[in-house]
Amino acid sequence: METIVTQELSRTDLRWNIDYRPERCTMCGSCVAACTINAIEVGVERRSMTLSRAAYPDPAREHMSRPVIRQRVSLSQACVGCGMCAKVCPNEAIRPVRNPDNRFAMLTRCLGPAKRGGRTNLNAQRTLDHIIVGRISQMTDPSLDSERHTFDIRAPFGRILLPEHLPLAIEGDSLKQIDRTPPVNWIYPLIFSDMSIGALSTRAWEAIALATAYLNEKCGLPFRMCSGEGGMPVKLMTSDKLKYMILQIASGHFGWNRILRALPHMKTDPAGVLIKIGQGAKPGDGGLLPAAKVAPHIQAIRGVPKATLHSPPNHQGLYSIEESVQKMHLSLSAAFGFRVPVAIKCAASATSVSVYNNLLRDPYRICGGFFLDGVQGGTGAANEISLDHTGHPVVSKMRDCYMAAVRQGLQGQIPLWAGGGIGMTGNAAADAFKMICLGANGVIVGKLMIQLLGCVGNEQGRCNACSTGKCPAGICTQDPRLVRRLDIDRGAQSIVDYMLTLDSELRKLMAPIGNSSLPVGRSDALVSTDRAVAEKLGIVYAC
Amino acid sequence: MLTIETLKTVNDATERMSTQDLLLSIEKAVTDGVTDFTIHASGQHDIGGPLWNTEGKPLSFLVTNPGQRVGSMCLENTEVTVEGSAPADVGWLNAGGKIVVRGDAGDTAGHCAAAGTIYIGGRAGTRSGSLMKHDPLYQAPQLWILENTGSFSFEFMGGGRAVVCGHGCESMPSVLGARPCVGMVGGLVYVRGKTDALPADATLEPLSSEDIAWLESGMEPFLKAIGRQDLLGTLSRWDEWHKIVPHVHEEKHPDIFSVAAYRNNEWVNGGIFTDVLADDFGVCGLVARGLYRQRIPVWDNARYQAPCEYNCPSSIPTQQRYNLWMALSACAFSPLIFHRSAF
Repeated sequence: METIVTQELSRTDLRWNIDYRPERCTMCGSCVAACTINAIEVGVERRSMTLSRAAYPDPAREHMSRPVIRQRVSLSQACVGCGMCAKVCPNEAIRPVRNPDNRFAMLTRCLGPAKRGGRTNLNAQRTLDHIIVGRISQMTDPSLDSERHTFDIRAPFGRILLPEHLPLAIEGDSLKQIDRTPPVNWIYPLIFSDMSIGALSTRAWEAIALATAYLNEKCGLPFRMCSGEGGMPVKLMTSDKLKYMILQIASGHFGWNRILRALPHMKTDPAGVLIKIGQGAKPGDGGLLPAAKVAPHIQAIRGVPKATLHSPPNHQGLYSIEESVQKMHLSLSAAFGFRVPVAIKCAASATSVSVYNNLLRDPYRICGGFFLDGVQGGTGAANEISLDHTGHPVVSKMRDCYMAAVRQGLQGQIPLWAGGGIGMTGNAAADAFKMICLGANGVIVGKLMIQLLGCVGNEQGRCNACSTGKCPAGICTQDPRLVRRLDIDRGAQSIVDYMLTLDSELRKLMAPIGNSSLPVGRSDALVSTDRAVAEKLGIVYAC
Repeated sequence: MLTIETLKTVNDATERMSTQDLLLSIEKAVTDGVTDFTIHASGQHDIGGPLWNTEGKPLSFLVTNPGQRVGSMCLENTEVTVEGSAPADVGWLNAGGKIVVRGDAGDTAGHCAAAGTIYIGGRAGTRSGSLMKHDPLYQAPQLWILENTGSFSFEFMGGGRAVVCGHGCESMPSVLGARPCVGMVGGLVYVRGKTDALPADATLEPLSSEDIAWLESGMEPFLKAIGRQDLLGTLSRWDEWHKIVPHVHEEKHPDIFSVAAYRNNEWVNGGIFTDVLADDFGVCGLVARGLYRQRIPVWDNARYQAPCEYNCPSSIPTQQRYNLWMALSACAFSPLIFHRSAF
C-alpha cells in the first residue's frame, strides 16, 4: 500500500467533496465530460466483497477491480461545487458536498494560487433584510392600486438643477429657456451594471444587451445597461440600440479606440457615460482580466495581446476630485457634444461623503450622478483578499451621502445610485425599494444578471470560478466550447421575465405607501427590526 | 300612502329627524303594511332599502332632498324616485330595486350594484358605476345616465350594463371623465360621445344589431322615467354610439413576442459581435460531442500556422513532408511515414 504522509494533500483538505454512489452509477461518463474544472476522473478501485451468485446461498469472498468516478486531489483542479455533475447525472449517483473542515485557504496560499473572482464569501450581511416597509397608507391617506394606478418609475441619470438655477426667463406671457441645461435621461431605477466584454462571454454580454433592448421596445420599460470596461461591439454602436447603453470608461480605457472611431457612424447617442474610479469588490485596485479569458475577439476589441490585463488602480493623470470632475467629465461630455450625461462610480468607502460633498459643489454642473459600489459587489477576477476584506457596506454609506446632501439642501441634484449585493437573495425589487426610500435614486445590479443567465455561484463559496475561464454555464468564459452551453435567447428571456416581475413588485411596494413616483428619501416608510441598523440609518426601530 | 316630513317647526325652532329615527319609522310602517311613501327628507342617509313587504307587494318611495346612499341595498319590488338631485352613492349595492333620480347624482352612483335599474336624469359623479357586478342567478343591473360621469367611471366593473347618453356633452373631451374603465373585467358600457383613452383592460367597439335592439327597448322607459321623452329621437341616432367591452381573461395574457423572435427580427442582424467572432448561437448540452467536446483542445492552427500547413489534407506539415522526401532517398522512409502520417 502507498505510504501517505500527513502533510500530503488529501480530499479532506478541499472545499468540496464528491459524494459518489457507485451502486447507482452506470459509468456513462457524463459527469466527467460535463465538469469544466476537470475535478473528477474515471479511476479503478480494488474491492473485497462477499457475494452470493447462485440461486441459493453460496457466499464466496471475491477480490475485484471496479471502475469508479473519483475526485482529483489537486488544488488547481479542486471541485468548486458548481454541481454540473449532479445536474447531468441520469441516476443521482454523484453530487458535490461542502466540506466545512477544509484547509483550502491555507493550502492555496502555500502551494497554489489563492482563489480569485466571483463574490464575497465573507461579508454577505443582509442589512436590507432587517428593514421592513412599515408605513402603510390605511385611512390616513389612500394606498394606491398597484396594478392599475399609473406609476412613474423612473430615475434621473444626469445633473438635475434646482428650480432657481433653471435658465428661464419670462417673456411676455411665456416662459423662455435662455441658456443650456445639462442633459438628463430618465431611466428605470435599476441599471444592468458594468460587466465587461471579456469578463462575460460574448453571448452573456449580448444576452443582457438583447434583454435591455427588448424591455425598452416591447415592454416600454426604460432599462439601461452599462458596458463595463471592455469596450463596445462596433455593430451595436452603429445601431439604434446604442441609446440603451451606458458606456463605461475606467482606468484601463480599454475599447475606447473603437468607441471613438464609431462616433461618426453612430445613429444615436448612448444613454450616458460612466467613469469608473473604483469598484466595490476590489476598491483601490484596477480592473483585472486573466489571460485565460483574453481570446482573439477580446484582444481585438481591447487592442491588446493575449496577456493578463491589469487596469491601473487609479486614473493616471487624475490627482484630485476637482481634477477628475474637470478633466474626465469635461472630456467625455465634450466627446458627445454635451448631449450625453456623464456620471462617476466609486467603491463605497469611509471617504465617500467627502467625495460626494465635493461633487455637490460642482461649479460646472457637469456631474450627472454618483454611483456607489459596496463591498458585496461581484468581480470577474479580484483577489480574494480584496474581495473579502476591503470595501464598505453600501447601505449606510449611501444613506450618509444622501443625508449629507439633505443637510445642504442639495439632495437630488447629483443622482445617487448604489449597488453591491442588490438582489443577493433573489428579490431585487425589495432591495431597490428600500435603498430608494433611504435616499438612492436607483440601484445597479450585476451578479443578479448572470444568475438569471444561469450562473450557479453564490455567497457561500459555490462555483465562483469566474476568473478561471472555466465557467460551467458559459457566462464568464471565452472558451467557445463552454460559451456554446449558453442559450442566448433563453438567457435574455429570463432577464426580461424577471424584470417584468420586478416592475410589478416595485408597484406592490409603492402602492401601499401611497407613492405614484419613486419614494426617494422617504425613510419614514421604513422600520428596522435591528436597533443598531435603525439608529445608524435614522429610521424607526420596531419589534 | 304615508308622507313623512323630516323637518318640523315647533315654537319657532326647526327640528330635524335623525337618520336613525327616519329609517326606524319607515321600517315600522312597512311592517305595518304601508307600501307608498312620500318622504320630504333633509339629508338623511340610506332611504329606500333594504325593505320588503311580507306579502310581496311593491314598495314605492317618492323622495326629496335625500342624503347619501339613497336606494342603497334596495331589494326587488322597491321603487325609489328622487325629485331633484341626490348626493353620493345612489343605489349603492342595489340588489334589485328601481331607482330614479330626476336630477344629478353624486359620486359613485350605482357603486357595486349587482341587480335592478338605476336611472339618472342628469350627470353622475366620480367613480360612477364602479364595481358593478352581475349575479348570474338574477337579471343584470342597469345604470342609465342622461348626461355624463365624473372621472374614474366604471372602475373594476365586473358585470351589468351601463348607458351614458352624453346629452348636452358634445363639447366635452370625455363623457366618461378621465381614466374610465380601469380594471374593468366584465359588463358593457354604452356611450354616446367622446371618451378618454381606455386602459389596456377594455376596448371601444361599434354597436351590433343586438346592442341597438337592447338600447331601443330600454331608452323609452328611461326617458319616460326621467321625464325627457322629447330626447328619444336625438338619442336614437345609433351611429353616434359605441360600446366599451372588457377583454376576456385570455386576451389579457396573449402569447408575448419571445426574445428569440425579437433577436431574429429586430436585433442587430446576426448579432453584435459578428465583426470579431462568428457565432451561430447553437447550444450544446453539458455533454458535448464532436467539435465542442471539452477535452479536445481548441486549435488556433488557422491563426498561427502557415496556410499550406493548416490546409494539408494529409496533416503532414510541409517541411516535414520535404524532410520525408529527403529521407526517402536515404532509405529511412518506411518508419518515418508511419510516424508522421495521419494514417
